[in-house]
Amino acid sequence: MRDGRRPWWPANCWSGLPSNSTPSRVKILLADDDADRARYLVRALTRDQSAEVICTTPGEMLADAVAAHRPDVVVVDMTRPDRDALEGVRQLSSRMPHPVVMFVDEDDPDFMQAAIDAGVSSYNVGSVTPAEMKPVLRAAVALFRRYQQTHVKLAEAEIRLKERDLVDRAKAILIRRRKFSEPEAYHWLRREAMSSGKRIPDVALSVVQAQESE
Amino acid sequence: MPCSLRLGVLRLTDSAPVVLAESEGLFAAEGVEVAIQVEPSWANIADKLRWGALDAAVMPLPLALAAAAGLRGPATRLIVPMGISRGGNAVVVSSTLVTCLPEPLTPAAAPAFRAWLRDQTVPPRVAVVHLFSTHNLLLRYWLGSVGVDPDRDLEIVVIPPERVVAELTAGRIAGFCAGAPWGDVAEATGSGRILLGSSSIRPRHTEKCLALAGDWAADHPGPAAALSHALQAAQRLCDQPERSPAVAALLARRLDLPEEVTPAALPGGNGIEQIAFAAAAPLDPAEGLWFLREMRRWRWLGVDRDLEQLVADVYRSHLPLI
Repeated sequence: MRDGRRPWWPANCWSGLPSNSTPSRVKILLADDDADRARYLVRALTRDQSAEVICTTPGEMLADAVAAHRPDVVVVDMTRPDRDALEGVRQLSSRMPHPVVMFVDEDDPDFMQAAIDAGVSSYNVGSVTPAEMKPVLRAAVALFRRYQQTHVKLAEAEIRLKERDLVDRAKAILIRRRKFSEPEAYHWLRREAMSSGKRIPDVALSVVQAQESE
Repeated sequence: MPCSLRLGVLRLTDSAPVVLAESEGLFAAEGVEVAIQVEPSWANIADKLRWGALDAAVMPLPLALAAAAGLRGPATRLIVPMGISRGGNAVVVSSTLVTCLPEPLTPAAAPAFRAWLRDQTVPPRVAVVHLFSTHNLLLRYWLGSVGVDPDRDLEIVVIPPERVVAELTAGRIAGFCAGAPWGDVAEATGSGRILLGSSSIRPRHTEKCLALAGDWAADHPGPAAALSHALQAAQRLCDQPERSPAVAALLARRLDLPEEVTPAALPGGNGIEQIAFAAAAPLDPAEGLWFLREMRRWRWLGVDRDLEQLVADVYRSHLPLI
């Protein structure tokens, strides 16, 4: 069981961040239009003093933000539409003093797969070595994954709520039309579902649709 | 044996063989179960193929070659068993800008075009859909042919195809080169004008190909061949002009493309050019080499690379083609 006061991200996810004794701070540009997730990420990544996090502003093109802020690392939501722009920066723009290179750890395919599955992609800009970046990115991936799981649970909860609403509406129709009591309406739905091999919400949907088409 | 494979596409008219194969039951007829994944951008497709989140994808031929060559991160083991489409891209300029350009934009008008470009205080920003896209390479080839330096006289940026019209409408780009239906959408909404189609830059150029994740294809030779067969059958159906309205309706339903605009680039359409499907299926190594030589021309590929070998490694027509 999780302690209620503990944050929902893994407690050790930033433990590998460069320590305070490191003189140079890793400058991270975070490009994530999901404001909630971005807020969590900033909080987690800056817990350690060695990382500085800058967020893109709404509407700002990612390539412009990279040129303006000169980060060491770009952490980006893979599905963000301007993410592809970074792949061209090295070749396309003379504004960039350093090449922008996709962060890849070929020795750790599990990490790379986890990142892709979680929907986070990262690019190395400038002179920070991949070894220095890895802890930051591991933290980001863990957060994206945790966030994704939370969202899946939320989506499931929403579906359950919608289904319950549907069953309630179907029961109301049955009570009105067939003069059923509420338990009778529910039993009728359950019997129909069992005899037709469907789920109760699916039977409820057909009842509601039949009513609407009248 | 049925096997569910994950096939990535973008919201584009030339994804038609994929959605048609699904709706006509052609995948099922070949005994292969396909889950279509609609992705937001080419980088998503390329990353997911590399890291095992997709088994196959429809992608621009030069992007498949660049990914295999290790030009966008680690070298990706990819197999290209067939082409998907020829032509269908449009070079579009914003409606406000088009009045400043000499028309028609023929080689004879090139000096005026160059002079106009160099008068601009800021180089106009033009979008392509990926660095290693057919669109970028063909646009740069065309610009070069009229004496324009794409790196000095313009600022070329990358924007995923489904976003280009919004960026043009918002005035953040001056033009774009993207696949159908986005050029026709820009014209239909009044935000842009199509200057030329990509087939006028390079006639009969290969546009999309089928790319298979190398490890997946090695482990699943049967489903890989079945996928190719089903898509070739779908290509032949997509080539029939009388089917275009139904294909457009399907693209609207499955990929949310505008049904009234999509037919322009389908066979029999009235757009600047129409996509050819079945003719693209047989692989021509010369076509892959042309794109690789263009990448070398722009110094994205070193002179030490053996381009013929690169094409031979990726093109695997040992998968039986009908």
